[in-house]
Amino acid sequence: MATQAHSLSYAGCNFLRQRLVLSTLSGRPVKIRKIRARDDNPGLRDFEASFIRLLDKITNGSRIEINQTGTTLYYQPGLLYGGSVEHDCSILRSIGYYLESLLCLAPFMKHPLRIVLRGVTNDQVDPSVDVLKATALPLLKQFGIDGESFELKIVRRGMLPGGGGEVFFSCPVRKVLKPIQLTDPGKIKRIRGMAYSVRVSPQMANRIVDSARSILNKFIPDIYIYTDHMKGVNSGRSPGFGLWLVAETTNGTFLSAELVSNHQGQGAAVLPEDLGRNCAKLLLEEIHRGGCVDSTNQSLALLLMTLGQQDVSKVLLGPLSPYTIEFLRHLKSFFQIMFKIETKPCGEELKGGDKVLMTCVGIGFSNLSKTLK
Amino acid sequence: METKDQKKHRRKNSGPKAEKKKKRHLRDLQLGDEEDARKRNPKAFAVQSAVRMARSFHRTQDLKTKKHHIPVVDRTPLEPPPIVVVVMGPPKVGKSTLIQCLIRNFTRQKLTEIRGPVTIVSGKKRRLTIIECGCDINMMIDLAKVADLVLMLIDASFGFEMETFEFLNICQVHGFPKIMGVLTHLDSFKYNKQLKKTKKRLKHRFWTEVYPGAKLFYLSGMVHGEYQNQEIHNLGRFITVMKFRPLTWQTSHPYILADRMEDLTNPEDIRTNIKCDRKVSVYGYLRGGHLKNKSQIHIPGVGDFAVSDVSFLPDPCALPEQQKKRCLNEKEKLVYAPFSGVGGVLYDKDAVYVDLGGSHGFQESVRPTHELVQSLISTHSTIDAKMASSRVTLFSDSKPLVSEDIDNQGLWMPKEEKQVDLKTGRVRRKAIFGDEEDDSGDSDDEEDKEMSEGDRLENSSSDDETEEGEDAEMTGKQCMSGKGIKRQKLEMEEDVEVDLPAFADSDDDLERSSVEEATEEADESIEEEDSTAEEERDILESKVVREGGKPGLLQTDDLSDSLNLEKSLTMKKATLTTSDSGHCTAEEAFASEDESEENSLSTEEEDSENEEVIRKKFPNPSQVVSSQKLGSENLIDETSDIEDLLREEEDYKEENDYSTETSGALKWKEDLSRKAAEAFLRQQQTTPNLRKLIYGTVTEDNEEEDGDTKEELGGLFRVSQSASECKHKADSLDCSRFHVEVPHDWDLEEVMNSIRDCFVTGKWEEDKDAAKILAEDEELYGDFEDLETGDVHKGKSGPDTQVEDVEEEVKEEIDPNAEESAKKKHLDKKRKLKEMFDAEYDEGENTYFDDLKGEMQKQAQLNRAEFEDQDDEARVQYEGFRPGMYVRIEIENVPCEFVLNFDPHYPIILGGLGNSEGNVGYVQMRLKKHRWYKKILKSRDPVIFSVGWRRFQTIPLYYIEDHNGRQRLLKYTPQHMHCGATFWGPITPQGTGFLAVQSVSGIMADFRIAATGVVLDLDKSIKIVKKLKLTGFPYKIFKNTSFIKGMFNSALEVAKFEGAVIRTVSGIRGQIKKALRAPEGAFRATFEDKLLMSDIVFMRTWYPVSVPAFYNPVTSLLKPAGEKDTWSGMRTTGQLRLAHGIKLKASKDSLYKPVVRQKKHFNSLHIPKALQKALPFKSKPKTQAKAGKIPKDRLRPAVVREPHERKILALLDALSTVHSEKMKKAKEQRHLHNKEHFKVKQKEEEEKLKRQKDLRKKLYRIQGQKERRNQKSSLKGPEEQLK
Repeated sequence: MATQAHSLSYAGCNFLRQRLVLSTLSGRPVKIRKIRARDDNPGLRDFEASFIRLLDKITNGSRIEINQTGTTLYYQPGLLYGGSVEHDCSILRSIGYYLESLLCLAPFMKHPLRIVLRGVTNDQVDPSVDVLKATALPLLKQFGIDGESFELKIVRRGMLPGGGGEVFFSCPVRKVLKPIQLTDPGKIKRIRGMAYSVRVSPQMANRIVDSARSILNKFIPDIYIYTDHMKGVNSGRSPGFGLWLVAETTNGTFLSAELVSNHQGQGAAVLPEDLGRNCAKLLLEEIHRGGCVDSTNQSLALLLMTLGQQDVSKVLLGPLSPYTIEFLRHLKSFFQIMFKIETKPCGEELKGGDKVLMTCVGIGFSNLSKTLK
Repeated sequence: METKDQKKHRRKNSGPKAEKKKKRHLRDLQLGDEEDARKRNPKAFAVQSAVRMARSFHRTQDLKTKKHHIPVVDRTPLEPPPIVVVVMGPPKVGKSTLIQCLIRNFTRQKLTEIRGPVTIVSGKKRRLTIIECGCDINMMIDLAKVADLVLMLIDASFGFEMETFEFLNICQVHGFPKIMGVLTHLDSFKYNKQLKKTKKRLKHRFWTEVYPGAKLFYLSGMVHGEYQNQEIHNLGRFITVMKFRPLTWQTSHPYILADRMEDLTNPEDIRTNIKCDRKVSVYGYLRGGHLKNKSQIHIPGVGDFAVSDVSFLPDPCALPEQQKKRCLNEKEKLVYAPFSGVGGVLYDKDAVYVDLGGSHGFQESVRPTHELVQSLISTHSTIDAKMASSRVTLFSDSKPLVSEDIDNQGLWMPKEEKQVDLKTGRVRRKAIFGDEEDDSGDSDDEEDKEMSEGDRLENSSSDDETEEGEDAEMTGKQCMSGKGIKRQKLEMEEDVEVDLPAFADSDDDLERSSVEEATEEADESIEEEDSTAEEERDILESKVVREGGKPGLLQTDDLSDSLNLEKSLTMKKATLTTSDSGHCTAEEAFASEDESEENSLSTEEEDSENEEVIRKKFPNPSQVVSSQKLGSENLIDETSDIEDLLREEEDYKEENDYSTETSGALKWKEDLSRKAAEAFLRQQQTTPNLRKLIYGTVTEDNEEEDGDTKEELGGLFRVSQSASECKHKADSLDCSRFHVEVPHDWDLEEVMNSIRDCFVTGKWEEDKDAAKILAEDEELYGDFEDLETGDVHKGKSGPDTQVEDVEEEVKEEIDPNAEESAKKKHLDKKRKLKEMFDAEYDEGENTYFDDLKGEMQKQAQLNRAEFEDQDDEARVQYEGFRPGMYVRIEIENVPCEFVLNFDPHYPIILGGLGNSEGNVGYVQMRLKKHRWYKKILKSRDPVIFSVGWRRFQTIPLYYIEDHNGRQRLLKYTPQHMHCGATFWGPITPQGTGFLAVQSVSGIMADFRIAATGVVLDLDKSIKIVKKLKLTGFPYKIFKNTSFIKGMFNSALEVAKFEGAVIRTVSGIRGQIKKALRAPEGAFRATFEDKLLMSDIVFMRTWYPVSVPAFYNPVTSLLKPAGEKDTWSGMRTTGQLRLAHGIKLKASKDSLYKPVVRQKKHFNSLHIPKALQKALPFKSKPKTQAKAGKIPKDRLRPAVVREPHERKILALLDALSTVHSEKMKKAKEQRHLHNKEHFKVKQKEEEEKLKRQKDLRKKLYRIQGQKERRNQKSSLKGPEEQLK
């Protein structure tokens, strides 16, 4: 019988998003056991529950079973539905946590996704919405996901601990993805960024900009860091400031770095100058790692390569992050796909660290949700 | 006389020769030949009408674009699988004969009985798999899905039959492969004219079905029960040169048309329970897309399965290797048909041997060989029993050996067998020596020792009986194969034997060393050692097998070969050690990382380590059995599960980790061991390690693994320790950010310099550096003059270049490399120039379509090139098994009927399923009843669909979409219109065609395909509705408001429908207002007019219907042989009623009764007197009484005349007649007279008028003269007057 075939089983709450996203895309049910089973506070946390709720909202016919203590989760995916959705994210994690998964799923919906996410836009744990907008969206465009309705807008900025941010994300639907060959990152031609501040003095942003420029000017003159001071209802509920930087290369690769101030009641106050300088150095680190895809978006790129046509896709990455490594394993267990991994030593060129060339043949995925007219 | 007979020479008027002559003639005349007419006579080609020109341009463009297809990436493999040729036709039309003839045509072999597919080599680049298709609709559907070419046999003496049309329609739905018609039985026509007519008629009918101009072949007649050679040859030629367009479904799904099936079930299991689920292996060429291991497949007629193992085998019917010759030689004309029993087919794990036994096979004693092999293949009892009973004769005259004779060695390889070398197609005998050979005996002993040791160890360690048994079996097999190989090598020509001892020695040495290793390690590890040793040996042996093949083939230069072998072996050893050392570095890395607990990377690696450890710890029995190199790789899923299991204990350090990780970005200058990072980087530098880090073991470093386990695993205790150490990852923070663990100090100059070149300001590569390119260009084009400024730019200043040239020349003389480089430079220059020219020239021509095509071509090239240089083992890992490979697929849990009722005539297709195509949901499609199907389809009647690979019975609902998007349920499909259909069943990609049949059993006279269509949408819910009318009755009527009851049952229900629109039957519209307290369910409603008590009020609503979740795959292959076309599933209610004789109970109201109409009586119209008075006369009722009865008194008596009176009356009548006649005449005369008189009068009048006119004229003239005179006189004056 065709039903309930071959469910996968995992233990522990780590990589929950990966597992659920891949399960949704591959149609294989997944069972996750022992979620914080030995913890004082066992079971799923609020942000995970919120994520599962979000998945439920954008799919049709998903079956989710959670046991009493919340330590075991069974997820049988339905079909991706999409449409206009609103979701209040938990403020334990930023919107980036949810958005990363949505970026994976959004191109394969039945109706184009138009979603409003509310919560924390920038925090220190997850990639912020700004960075995703600056790096992930151009990446998706490489795969042929493009159009007027493809946008990510930050309506309100919300910082920890209060939250109150709002993000609007809309994405068109595709039946198939284009294969990519990103083997040459090109050279960085400009650096852009934004220093933002909410509910603090607007001067903070200017101070950040100056310090960041002082570091980066040694490399390239084409730097422009915008300042963004949101006021009133658009500024969320808590004060804070931060900076994100993105380096664009001649071949359309975006490398990013970001840093956010400590939120109220967490550690010592951070000087904006320090923050700017550190963030600039983080960007240099990212450039040192290099590759055609930002380190936060590695897994997204690999996923979309996997879901391409039965053609060869190639991408040059920096060192693989632990998240990506686990993601590759999951790709293997969900899609039986293995990547050819070639290390490209940097040689004499002064181009940062070693790179990894990832090659795969797409599985010939087609969007099963989209309606034929 | 002769001259008279000769024909007169006629000059040619057309053709190239005539043209030439004409041209010459014109040239002689000094005219014409001025290029083309367009230039000669430009006026004739001038634009006459812009509109017409635009139109003609439009038309040409339209025609051009019509030719375009959407370009697709060409994914056909380099060595494509054989083309599936389905020979289809009704019974007795000559299918088998045609197949036999075709096979004989291509291979010069005659197959008497054909069962299942037959694969043959038909040309240098093409192979064919020919399969016959009967008229069982199951078979027809299955084969239409895999066919590349259909030969449709038609009995010309009979004409088209239903099967032909059915098959055509099935093909159309499932992608339309190439179809070629073949007319047979043409010899039954006596008259040529009739034959011609029939041919034409059939041809045109065929064209309307396929496409105009489709090829129809004629097989004119039989000669000795076979078709004519020339015709068959032509047909074969057509098949071999035919081109195919890829079909969407076939290219996107891997599939296999199985040509071989084996039951691998443990005989013990079958003995205990004959109905137990079976494990089978299926062989065939992979077609379509790439097949991944562990993927889902569907076998039409059986069901869905997961592939438990895939491996590829050498091609049993390979294409010839050298391509120089024009045609195949006899040895290359292979045929492969295991089901038909072509040759005694033998197979090992990694080789399939075909015995042709035909034209070029040796006919020597094959018997004793087959005895054992056959008995092994068709295992009916356990292996022990088998072994006890089997005997082997080593030499034709020796006494047969029984298992006791062979001391504890498991099995012997058959003594003698024929093998076809796949490369050359040569058949050679494979023979075996006895155990006189010392070396082999030695090795045997050793192996025995090893084996027994292994057994002992296993006995002590493992409790599982079956596992042990299997292990033993495995080792037994292994021994067998090892020996077999050795023997095979040893038995050769004499001179070979001389060399052989060394050869065998080298082999043994290696083996011994491995064994020794194994024994040493036995002290340390208990179980692992066994498996590793075995694996190692396996690898070595397979290597040996590969090498061993060569000497056997060449037979001449054995010495060199054996040397080669030795070399390769040593090399192998070297690689072993190197890989080991490579791994050691990794080990160090691990060790160093152990120190720093916070490093998440270390956890990663430990994890992977652990994974390996676990794998070694619990070698899966199936893995051992398969003893395949890939085996371990395939089991990652299970092992990861186990790994997760072991990770269950929570490490409380995780909390700390969390904090450090989160604040890592800020506190990035905290002391983190630099060493760890370095180790990580060092480790990343070696590719296999990175790959292993991610995927665990891979094929290439199996050997490494072995070494690894030896060092890693001391015993159980250490394993558990490491397991507990690396557990804290499972519940750590789920974050995609890659934190910088060891930040560089970006204030240092050298660190800064390390990324200098990442910026546009840095140094560029040779080929991209602007300055360099400029310089090159300069070099290319040399001097040029700037016309504006008048500057002259020189490529290089004269003397300098000259000097350099001289220098270069000198250099060239010295260095041959320089010459080469110069040559290269020159070539580069040329290429560049050409590129530039091309770019300039082609610029205007490039369209979007061309670009798209170019892109696709580039992608296709990349696809081909990417994995080309890798060996198949590795390639399979990345790509999956690619089409064209001959694969063996193991499937578990197959119903026993599949094996028991196996019939090779029926095709076994293994269709690969895409992601989530194994799931079920609601499938919506656009459906149309087939115009040739006689009935219509009813909602909720079970029908059998064929969608994707599957055939299944399900219950569809038919609907039609209203203009507002509402999907309204239909009871029946419309007659000649599309409608929607929804069923609950397997998810199939949108755009897939399907067909429906009502039953697959038996043969119906009528057309069997009930409906066709396409899948539109997949979902997990449906929104089909049906109409529901709720009725109520007014019980109190006010002006426009009424109280209505009977529509609802409770106030709550009413509340739900507040504001809903209601209507009366007479058409008065209204609205529900509010529920009333009593009676229950009554409500107040307002209407646009006052109701009557007799009115019925109703409300139109829509009620969602549910689709029954019924999905029943057609398991026709599980039926007993001969009954496979009798599958019947759920019956419709109609069929059930018929079967049980239950009449439908009709509701009384719906019965028709004779209509009885009462005579209508109308009262007369009564107008009041007053009104009558006022009416005008015209409208007044006329009171003219009818001529009523005249009273008797008024009745006048009839007059009866006397004869005399009658005479008088007659006379009077006559007189009056005469008189009247006279009068009439007189009148006429008068009339004439009057007329004449009038004419005369008129004439007179005219005359009179004329006269008067003349008179007047005269008068006026006189008058005028007078007047003039007067005037004159007045001018003269009075004097004159006076005069």
